Amino acid sequence: MALRVPVNLRKNLSVVLYAFQGLSILAVIVGLASLLLLPLDEYSRRTYISENALLPGQVHAYFGGSEQNIVRAFRREVDLLGNSTSDVVAERMAEIFRSAGLKVGKQRYSYKAAGGEYTGENVYAVLHAPRGDATEAIVLCAPWRNIDHLLNEGGVALTLALSRYFKRWSLWSKDIIFLISSDARAGPQAWVDAYHDLHGENIQSLSVKSGAIQGVVVVDYPGAYHRFESLHIIYDGINGQLPNLDLINTAVQISRDQMGLRTDLQEMWNHDDGYRHRLRTMLRGMVNQALGHSTGPHSSFIPYHIDAITLATHGDGGWHDEGSLGRTVESVFRSLNNLLEHFHQSFFFYLLMAPKRFVSIGTYLPSAMLLAVGLTLTAIRLWVDPRSRSGEVEKEEKREKEREGGNQGEVVAVDGGPKRELFLPMSIVIGVHFCGVIPFAVFNSVDHKSMSSVFYISIATSVILPTLISILITLTASPHRLLPAFHLSRCFSLLFLGMFLSTLATLNFSLSFLIGLFSLPLTFARTTPKSVPSALVNSILLQATSPFAALFAVAGYWGLGVEDILKEASFGWWVWGMWTPVVVWCVWWPAWVVGRVSVDSSFVMAAMGKGGDL
Amino acid sequence: MDRKCLLAIGAGALIRLVLFTAFPSLPTILAQRVEISTPVTSYKRLQEGVYLYTHGVSPYDGGVFHQAPLLLSLFSILPPSTIITNLLYVLADIFSAISLIQIASSGVPTVTPHHVSPRKANSWPPWAIAAAFLFNPFTIATCIARPTIVFTNTIILHSIAAAVNGRRGPAFVSIAMATYLSLYPALLLPPLLFLTYDSLKATPKPSIQAFSAITMIMLSIVLMIYFKLSHLITGSWEFVASTYGVHLLLPDLTPNVGLWWYFFIEMFDSFRAFFLCLFQLHLLIYVPSVCLRLRKQPLFALITLIGISSIFKSYPAIGDTGLYLSLLMLYNHMFSLMRYTFFLAAAILYATFLGPAFYYLWVYAGSGNANFFYAITLVWSISNALIVADAIYAALRDEHETERPELIGKDVVQI
Repeated sequence: MALRVPVNLRKNLSVVLYAFQGLSILAVIVGLASLLLLPLDEYSRRTYISENALLPGQVHAYFGGSEQNIVRAFRREVDLLGNSTSDVVAERMAEIFRSAGLKVGKQRYSYKAAGGEYTGENVYAVLHAPRGDATEAIVLCAPWRNIDHLLNEGGVALTLALSRYFKRWSLWSKDIIFLISSDARAGPQAWVDAYHDLHGENIQSLSVKSGAIQGVVVVDYPGAYHRFESLHIIYDGINGQLPNLDLINTAVQISRDQMGLRTDLQEMWNHDDGYRHRLRTMLRGMVNQALGHSTGPHSSFIPYHIDAITLATHGDGGWHDEGSLGRTVESVFRSLNNLLEHFHQSFFFYLLMAPKRFVSIGTYLPSAMLLAVGLTLTAIRLWVDPRSRSGEVEKEEKREKEREGGNQGEVVAVDGGPKRELFLPMSIVIGVHFCGVIPFAVFNSVDHKSMSSVFYISIATSVILPTLISILITLTASPHRLLPAFHLSRCFSLLFLGMFLSTLATLNFSLSFLIGLFSLPLTFARTTPKSVPSALVNSILLQATSPFAALFAVAGYWGLGVEDILKEASFGWWVWGMWTPVVVWCVWWPAWVVGRVSVDSSFVMAAMGKGGDL
Repeated sequence: MDRKCLLAIGAGALIRLVLFTAFPSLPTILAQRVEISTPVTSYKRLQEGVYLYTHGVSPYDGGVFHQAPLLLSLFSILPPSTIITNLLYVLADIFSAISLIQIASSGVPTVTPHHVSPRKANSWPPWAIAAAFLFNPFTIATCIARPTIVFTNTIILHSIAAAVNGRRGPAFVSIAMATYLSLYPALLLPPLLFLTYDSLKATPKPSIQAFSAITMIMLSIVLMIYFKLSHLITGSWEFVASTYGVHLLLPDLTPNVGLWWYFFIEMFDSFRAFFLCLFQLHLLIYVPSVCLRLRKQPLFALITLIGISSIFKSYPAIGDTGLYLSLLMLYNHMFSLMRYTFFLAAAILYATFLGPAFYYLWVYAGSGNANFFYAITLVWSISNALIVADAIYAALRDEHETERPELIGKDVVQI
């Protein structure tokens, strides 16, 4: 039999073990370092328009002059309606759209999440393209109240004015839909769900529809004061999906090069295009992507494969006014009107670090993948490690028995040493993963008021649970199987985590990277019954990197209470279909619990005197 | 069958019933997964065919339905209730488990007339093998999605169970039925012949030539009866082109976990006929070599061919892999000789999770493309192929050590 086995490696296991350990540490270091290198000129690229049909900024924008007076009139109209109920607002907006000669539709919606009810009424109008066949549409959206609950006076007024203005042009080849959503979070979601007939029962269907939506631009221009400094482009979608880079590039190019408007990303108001600012922009983008929440009305469109951005005005000391914003929107719409097919040329996976600087997936994906690979390599090392095998004594006896008991002339083979006992560790890991459904279900069903008490109860449970599991296992399992069981349960749990994270990295890079970062202690936090101090250090380290600690970190980052974050997560799950809570509770939390179980077992075994050699 | 077997079967049936009743939308969701339902097994297409059939339209017009006519008559006789259909699929899995228990209890995996495994003490008890089949996530997902591959698998397992007990009639009537349903089980005929011949209880044994000749004649008669029945049911011979023709000529290029669809999408039309022949012949060449080399363990040869066809056939699905992995559990005693179990298990797991993710990126999110999913089907197929290869290595090593006991525990080196 000319089959080959790598003899040397199988004989000298310690070489393999050291190699794997070194490799996994190396993978983590390289993964982290390569992320920090990204903002450098050598690794990032200048953005460019990939779709030639867009021709951004090639047309003259005519919005201005007397149109500005119309915007100001509508601003007054919006101001008067400021505190009215949503049906009064919707009726008045519908009237204005109708008087401009557009088809109008209204939609009531109501969502229930975290014990609260979110109701409102969207109103929208369809401008049929003079040169189109109603198979494609582009959307101009203005939420009545923006994401900070400010009255979006300028945005709504501008949308109303543009609806009259666009109606006069005969060059549109795509239908234009003007949408005034009742708020910035639930309204657009209700509308886009209903547009694709995927809405829930408390959401009305749309009476008027048009073709497939090719692009969405949201105008967020709050406040009574109409001057602004710069344009803030917001682009993060639900679950960390992003719009096509071409749309952002078009908006940036038009506002900067054509209109002379400064553009900002990720609330970085004074970007100097240096390393630090680039890194901070990128990291802020990653945090938004990882949380997977809605950052504006545009976010709800992105899961439907509709490219969408929000143009928000920033500052009130500048010299730009509704005229510049109107011309910018007009020019973006002229570009969108030029699209021959759906956005597809440019990148869907990218990290922006300045308005004109980005890295594409090929450059940044390796860093998240390397973190996941680090976990997988550790899992392989744990599997190869002879400490994963148990029952040496038992097997020796069995071997003797088999030698004696076997029939004469019959060959009996027993292979290389003790076996791995898979049942106990497998059931620990799978059981804990199923337990992840419990916190997920609880946090998504409790009321907002009881959220914080439930949160502290679940922290307490989550601290005690691993200790309880390890006590239970130590009491029930036979001593010589204990260490291998904990060893193998870590192995399987890391294998699962590495697999989930590398899958997740293709869907939501940032979430995968951040969880990978927080999970690093899991690679070295092991069972050490002989050394209680090191177990103590590991335990503290694990506690500091638990999902709950991360929740506190996120709450601190936004300056909110933990219960607000949990309420947002519950709202995200019920309204937006946000998957972040699923990933946290069903992937990360179980891995963390298994890690804690194997660390806590050191205390339990030391206390019970069951410690073996390790 | 002891109590543990019954317990395993009960639990396996229970988990399926719970999934069917607790998540009523799950069967529809899973039935749409390309990894589970193929054009030749899909439940949705079957429903379409039954609808056309009961309304007096030929189901084979229109190129949607590619399944055997006997399935049509079965499902048109059944009352149109989802509960009964679901129960039928659960029953099919239970029968598969029972067949597996019979195969395991017969001892053929470890002891054949030509070979006694030196590791036979390590083999798993029958209940564990039934449990490994019933709790295999691939099998469960396949059962819930209700593709007709479930019936083919049940019939193949029944045929093997009959063969290991030396019951030639049931074995070959069943394999004829499996062939009739999905064509590729025809590849299993030669090892099944050897397996049945080895397990024959009659003394004196007939010569293998006479045995094969009689069996083949019997098989052809049974197949002809099936075809005639189908002809009577549908009233024409249209079904032949639209079922076996589809298996052979691959007109439907819906993605699946196999290697064909992408290749034939990319193919220039002038080469299509050549590569179709090549791909089909490629499957065929394994049959004689595997049967001859593994003559001492015909059951293992048969399982290996199931594994190979689950990788290389025209419309594979995870149900085929599920069948192969469950059957491989019969050879659990020699897993210690396999060299890459952990790595291959990890690779299969990775592919299982990355496949749907990449399909999502391609079809729903629109941010990926067909190459993403194809890359993962390659990983999936390579890991499956490596499992087959590694298992063959272990089986050969096991045989080798019976011949030369002094080599037990020694390493093998290429010179």
